[in-house]
Amino acid sequence: MPPALEARSLSLVRDGTIVLNDVSFAVAPGEVYALLGGNGAGKSSTLLTFLGFLSPSGGEVLVAGRPVTQDVEAARSAIAYLPEAASLYGHLNAYENLGYFLDLAGRRVDRAAMDAALDQVALPPEARGRRMQSYSKGMRQKTAIALALLRDTPILLLDEPTSGLDPVAIDEFHAMVKALAAAGRTVLMVTHDVYGACQIADRVGLLRGGRMVGSFEAESGRRIDTETVHAAFAAREAA
Amino acid sequence: MSAPFRIAREEWRLWTRSRVVVVAAFIVAVLLAATSVLTALRLADEAERRTARQASAEATFFAQPDRHPHRMVHYGHYAFRTPPPLSAFDPGVDAVTGQSIYLEGHRQNTAMFADTRAAADLGGFAALTPANLYQLLIPLLLIIIGHGVVLRERESGTLSVLLAQGQTGLAIAGGKALALAGVAGLFLLPVAVLAGLSVTGGESPLAAGLLVGGYALYLAVWAALVLAVSLWVRQRSVALGVLVLVWLMVALIVPRIGINAASAAIDAPGKIESDLVMLAEERKLGDGHNAADPAFEALKKQVLEQYQAASVEELPVNWRGVVAGHSEAKLTALMNAHAERRMESEAAQARIVTWFGLASPTLAVGAASRALAGTDLATHHRFLRESEALRFDFVQGLNDLHATALTYADDAARSSDAEAEKRTRVNAASWRLLDTFRFVPDPAAARAARAALPLLLLFGWLAVLGGAIVAGARRLAP
Amino acid sequence: MSGLLREARFLLRDRGALLWLALALLLSAAATGFGIAEVRGQRATIAALLEEDARDRADAISKQEDWGGAAYAAFHLAYAPPSDFAFAALGQRDTAPWLHRVRMLALEGQIHEADTKNADFGLIGRFDFAFLAATIAPLLLILLLHDLRAGERVAGRHDLLVATAGAPQRLWRPRATVRLAGLAFAMLVPFWIGAGIEGAGIAKTLAASVLVMGGLAVWGLIVVAVGRLAAPPPVLLAVLVGLWLALALLVPALSRAVIEAAVPVPDGAEILMLQREAVNDAWDKPKAATMETFLARHPEWRSLGEVSKPFEWKWYYAFQQVGDQQAEPIVTAYREGRLARDAAAEWAALLSPAALVERGFERLAGTDMRAMIAYEDHVRAFHADLRAFHYPLFFRDPPYDPVVLKGLPRYQPMP
Repeated sequence: MPPALEARSLSLVRDGTIVLNDVSFAVAPGEVYALLGGNGAGKSSTLLTFLGFLSPSGGEVLVAGRPVTQDVEAARSAIAYLPEAASLYGHLNAYENLGYFLDLAGRRVDRAAMDAALDQVALPPEARGRRMQSYSKGMRQKTAIALALLRDTPILLLDEPTSGLDPVAIDEFHAMVKALAAAGRTVLMVTHDVYGACQIADRVGLLRGGRMVGSFEAESGRRIDTETVHAAFAAREAA
Repeated sequence: MSAPFRIAREEWRLWTRSRVVVVAAFIVAVLLAATSVLTALRLADEAERRTARQASAEATFFAQPDRHPHRMVHYGHYAFRTPPPLSAFDPGVDAVTGQSIYLEGHRQNTAMFADTRAAADLGGFAALTPANLYQLLIPLLLIIIGHGVVLRERESGTLSVLLAQGQTGLAIAGGKALALAGVAGLFLLPVAVLAGLSVTGGESPLAAGLLVGGYALYLAVWAALVLAVSLWVRQRSVALGVLVLVWLMVALIVPRIGINAASAAIDAPGKIESDLVMLAEERKLGDGHNAADPAFEALKKQVLEQYQAASVEELPVNWRGVVAGHSEAKLTALMNAHAERRMESEAAQARIVTWFGLASPTLAVGAASRALAGTDLATHHRFLRESEALRFDFVQGLNDLHATALTYADDAARSSDAEAEKRTRVNAASWRLLDTFRFVPDPAAARAARAALPLLLLFGWLAVLGGAIVAGARRLAP
Repeated sequence: MSGLLREARFLLRDRGALLWLALALLLSAAATGFGIAEVRGQRATIAALLEEDARDRADAISKQEDWGGAAYAAFHLAYAPPSDFAFAALGQRDTAPWLHRVRMLALEGQIHEADTKNADFGLIGRFDFAFLAATIAPLLLILLLHDLRAGERVAGRHDLLVATAGAPQRLWRPRATVRLAGLAFAMLVPFWIGAGIEGAGIAKTLAASVLVMGGLAVWGLIVVAVGRLAAPPPVLLAVLVGLWLALALLVPALSRAVIEAAVPVPDGAEILMLQREAVNDAWDKPKAATMETFLARHPEWRSLGEVSKPFEWKWYYAFQQVGDQQAEPIVTAYREGRLARDAAAEWAALLSPAALVERGFERLAGTDMRAMIAYEDHVRAFHADLRAFHYPLFFRDPPYDPVVLKGLPRYQPMP
């Protein structure tokens, strides 16, 4: 079975700057992979190439074994995307936003299913009928996550999913990701939250300056060692 | 250096670095220069041509050979309206009304051969004059350059920094206003140059100065609007959208709606309509060609008494000439009454349109501009009146000749007797009774008086917007 | 299809867009209303004038005693009534004459006189539907569509939207189409109502609607193309407004200046001067010479063409026609020049969608330059009819009988 997501010697050059340099990794179906790195490390760009928004300058990216550049639509239809600081339409409420985006994806979902997803992300019921411009950052993030869930796609790409969430919400989020993985979904998560990543990821990749400088795997039955990863994260760029 | 000046200077520096601003300003400048030059050349050419035509028409009249005076009444004369010096900037109604009138006895004609009659039809927006550019294009430029003056400070967060440093909202607004004024002032150069040239061409400095002042006021109104919107609206795209909408309404739509409203409100009968009404009345006055018409009975009695004669053949003057003069006078009085009524209706319509200047500074400045340049409707009406005076003058002069230089017997026999016909021809030197006609614009004071109301409307706009700016500046907070 | 429904529902929640559409609807209603009022006013004027004219002519003729005098005194009203589509585009009716009072004298002295109109009206222009559709609607479309993509980018929704949609076209195309269609409908519905009220006929209304939608489609393509640029919405708006100015104002104005320089038209005042001199000279010229020129055109009167007295009506009207004949070359040049300019303008209009739409409307309404020239030709034809009626009476000179004059040609307006 081909990996759900795979980057092979991915290189990306934008405006003369090398954003990604020979990055390779693969995410197996049902796996949770966390891509770690500081600001400007190239994490978001990696996601954008999986989504076909950026074309690789070298190497390739594959979704379910097919190169993205060959069929962008097929890749996108298999992926639910949660951008960083996701914002939806402020003048619509949560239901209307979900309805619109799902319609855009070609899915019809009834109110009950929406409510179920919103329950899962713990969005307060009284807020759901209000316009999203009145939501807090956390509430907006939760609605966007609900959208990703309702997309019912095999793969989820999440960009800084926990930024703006309070500790309780973060815990809820982690639980949800674990449940998703248990249900067979593949999750590629991009973050600079080392601790959270180690909590839920099956594997962790460390990007620095566009290169994959470290890869960590949980030993069977155990979580990834946070200390090791943190140390690697904080280390100065070595030769 | 004062705070507002520093703020303004910063704004200028930013604008010179923005590609959009520089390109837009450059394009407008080129357009302005090209249009000014072309219009100035064209109107200088026109002025020369029409003056030459007028002189030639007079020469032709004087050069006519000996003939019966009534023939000359029908030969007629032409009056031409030469464009005033400032029409190089604002040609006004010149292109729309005709510039020549045929003057003959028994009739008042309309001005003929407007340029627009023979123009290539490319839509209703296709007239490019410097005045048009000032009225339409420069406000748009100010909008594009200036809509973000305060918004960009807000967006980049420098507003809170400025306010925290102790700058008052008023100082900031003042600086931005100064920046916009600088740009507006720069673009006033072409009109100032054209006005200066017109003064060397003989125009009154008062009119030329007021014209430049009027446009300065107009651009100030737009700058104030742009600043007010930038202060009160919080999002850049909304601000730009609002300003473009205002421009659309003010510059394009409201003026035309004003025209529609004036046309619907006041029914100004066209000449044909009022002619027909007048004709019914004219029939009562009698046909001036037919001296035996019963309508002249009363006149006959009076003249016979005056000269103590028993019948018209015994009069020392030519009865036909007397009739011609009398009926021309009566007819002219009637025609003038109707013409005045028409012109009054049109003037009333023009007043309605000017009052729409309350809703559109563009209409107001347009009205002021045309009044000051001497190319407005009122000037055209004066041309009509003065050419009518010229007409009446020479026609009655000829009718006098008709009465005094010919005998009644000869005149009555001229259709059948060739000898009599020769005796009814008057010496050609008499044609010199025709006055020379040179149409000049109103004195500058009169033009300024006509422009007063629209200029006042512009001041009103400026005052209201100034209030909005001050209020917005006081509430300025990040 | 479902994409269009989705975007239509979405549009109904977009207050900003709805505002622009409401504005379009309001402006369209106003333009149509004004147009209908104006056209009705013109028709009423014509009806009233026809009555007055008939009365005046009867009155004038009743006082005459010979054929020449009757011809001299009788005026005839010639007019071009506004077509049933003219409410949408008043076009050249605002500058060219559509009303004349003509009599048997030389035509060239009469036909160029225009009925007076308030000069400001011709200068500032009218707000009719054609102006709205050609010039204003594109600007509204720009305001509606310029930030299609850029707006979403600025709001941070662009990537999510496109990623969710899969293919970008599934999102942008329906969204743009719905907005464009919305604007088109907002503009067309009052127009359709107006066309119904005026009885404009399905064919013309359909053609006009296609013109409006076609124009909007062209502008839509421009807006969407510029909208792809990676620039913030205000920059895009500035660029698009600039393009709109260029296409709707500058290109037509420049084309007009170029055409007028390239296609010269004789000075109209020349025509009058020439004709006046010809008529005036004829009084002094030997009558035989004048009659000869006239009879060359009308050989049928040769046998009766002798003039013996110092004044005869047939000679008087003959030299009126001869005066017209002498002005003929320059009159033809004036007419051909105007037509040539119009033909050139037709080509130049291809450079500007706004000019194209406005000219299209004028063509449909019969208010373009060609229609006004056709009206002039029609008036000339009527004058020829008058002459054909009167010449037998002048030359044969039967005893004067006012009853014959009841058979005077009546002016019939063009269909």
